[in-house]
Amino acid sequence: MSASSIFAFFAGNPAIIMMVGALMCIATPRHLASPILLIATALSAIKLSMLGLGEYGAITLFDNQLTTLRLDPLSRLFAIAFHIAAALNIIYAWGQKDRAQNFATLAYPAAALGGVLAGDMITLFVWWEIAAITSVFLVWAPGTRATYVSGMRYLAIQVLSGVMLLAGIVLLFRETGSLAFDFVGLRDASGVIKLSALVMFLAFGIKCAFPLLHTWVQDAYPKSTISGTIILSVFTTKLAVYALARAFPGTNELIYIGAVMTIFPIFFALIENDLRKVLTYSINNQVGFMVVGIGIGTAGALNGATGYAFSNIIFESLLFMAVGAAMFRTGTSKATELGGLYRTMPLTMTFCIIGALSISAFPFFAGFVTKGLIVDGAGGVNIWIWLTLLFASAGVLEHAGIKIPYFTFFGHDSGKRPKEAPIGMLVAMSIAAVLSIGIGVFPEPLYALLPNQDQIAGYEPYTAYHIIEQLQLLLWAVLAFAVLVLIKWYPPEIPSTNLDVDWLWRVPGRALLSWASGASRATWNALWAIFTGRIQALMARIYAVHGPEGQMARSWPIGFMALWTAVLLGFVLILSFLA
Amino acid sequence: MSDNHTPDEKPGWADNPTFIRIFIGILTISAVAAALAGLNPARHNPHPHFGIEGFPIFFAIYGFVAFAFIVLAGQHLRKLVGRKEEYYDERE
Repeated sequence: MSASSIFAFFAGNPAIIMMVGALMCIATPRHLASPILLIATALSAIKLSMLGLGEYGAITLFDNQLTTLRLDPLSRLFAIAFHIAAALNIIYAWGQKDRAQNFATLAYPAAALGGVLAGDMITLFVWWEIAAITSVFLVWAPGTRATYVSGMRYLAIQVLSGVMLLAGIVLLFRETGSLAFDFVGLRDASGVIKLSALVMFLAFGIKCAFPLLHTWVQDAYPKSTISGTIILSVFTTKLAVYALARAFPGTNELIYIGAVMTIFPIFFALIENDLRKVLTYSINNQVGFMVVGIGIGTAGALNGATGYAFSNIIFESLLFMAVGAAMFRTGTSKATELGGLYRTMPLTMTFCIIGALSISAFPFFAGFVTKGLIVDGAGGVNIWIWLTLLFASAGVLEHAGIKIPYFTFFGHDSGKRPKEAPIGMLVAMSIAAVLSIGIGVFPEPLYALLPNQDQIAGYEPYTAYHIIEQLQLLLWAVLAFAVLVLIKWYPPEIPSTNLDVDWLWRVPGRALLSWASGASRATWNALWAIFTGRIQALMARIYAVHGPEGQMARSWPIGFMALWTAVLLGFVLILSFLA
Repeated sequence: MSDNHTPDEKPGWADNPTFIRIFIGILTISAVAAALAGLNPARHNPHPHFGIEGFPIFFAIYGFVAFAFIVLAGQHLRKLVGRKEEYYDERE
């Protein structure tokens, strides 16, 4: 390849443009970091808009063709959402001086973008791992021991996902001889689960935070910095949602996995005091809706899942940003220490309520226009899945729609009277709020980006039935909240740590590892003591025989030697006679 | 960081009992209106998946009961998994 073709290869990939921007801000003066990051994101977006649908960046690796860049409706939807989220995060953290954070603020989105644009599994794997490594800088950013330890746990789980993905790729390549990243499917033609697909499915499942594999989200994300948590909340799980939509649409297991994901976080979110952690449970719940849609796999449900991912990236970020702004001004994100901030942070409160209405899927807000596609698709599965998603919708309203704005800005008065959020945060939140309402009121531009255009062409979100159904569900749920507060049955927030399944490896697992480490050390010491004891005994015996005091070292009289010489000569003489 | 409130501060608009009454009034009227709107069969799902969708106030009842169940049942999860804030700090 000539130098110009190498340059064209790199400059042709939006993810690499973003990555170069991230690298540049390491070497340039700190006050230039935010403009550089935003310009790199803009250049990447321009490049993306110039690329028509198709495959680019072909390279040959060990006689295999790799497609490093594929733009089709599915990848385009996620790529656009990632650009919006990256830009919002840069604006939100405008003026941030920490080099490591500034690098990760764009390197991590760049890696996730590279992943969704990958047309082959090797390219996907490379970006998958870069996303894991770059994102850990955001977990480590506060620089405390707790974040260091949490970051190590996060990294171990993320790298495990990467190793499993690589194993899945190798097994799949052995079966099919192809490295293309397309539909994989969990089962073969006879309905048996393929090992290769299962390994890959679990690799995606870790990053997607499947139930029992989910705790890294709650462990790592809320420990990051204010802006770091917002960035983390977007990319890893949505990259995994994209990967599932690409490789495993219509996989029945995903319906049930997703349904569990929508339910269990609701209860953990209810009792959680740290509002940023409440929102991390909300991530699990929201991704659950997407996973159900992918599992259903019909054209409508896939449109719903991917469209919901797009709008969720915006309104979930908005909620994280609003809580982050409150934390920036008050130093805490705990419900017990917040409350009453509406007096002095009215704009942040307004943006937070817009995010809450959007995530709750009120009509004319972003969640409404895509969530209905998933719930409608669930109606085609069975009544239990359908009822589960409706139940989960009431749960979303509880923890994200009400709890977040209520305990931050209303509820009991904390007595804190902080200033309104800084201008960068307000600008980012206002853009996210406008988009949340814009998508809700004018969903057509989003619909035009959905992967199955034939299906969406005949879809009308604002039917009387859909609006009435949703308003009944949500308004009566809000009424339930009002009643519970008025009769004082709504539980107060309590400062606590709520255990999740990661307790298994953080406490008994850690104790077991500590015991195993001690036991192996003791066993080694014992075996070494036996070995060295034997050696010492042998050396002592040799010393006893051959040492200065030993038998072999005593002085022998000449007469004794002469006698033995005579005996030997006599013996030889007898032998010679006999022979 | 944050400033604290002063003793002579006026109560905020959201703490005003009149506002709370109006808010709850509007909420109740809206909720009842949504339920009444469901009574019109013309506003039912033209392609229902399940018979229960034809019940005019199914979604209202389900929303109310689901929310109340989540809050009333969910708080007991604290007894099972709730620990003091420093739980992990003391163990790691």
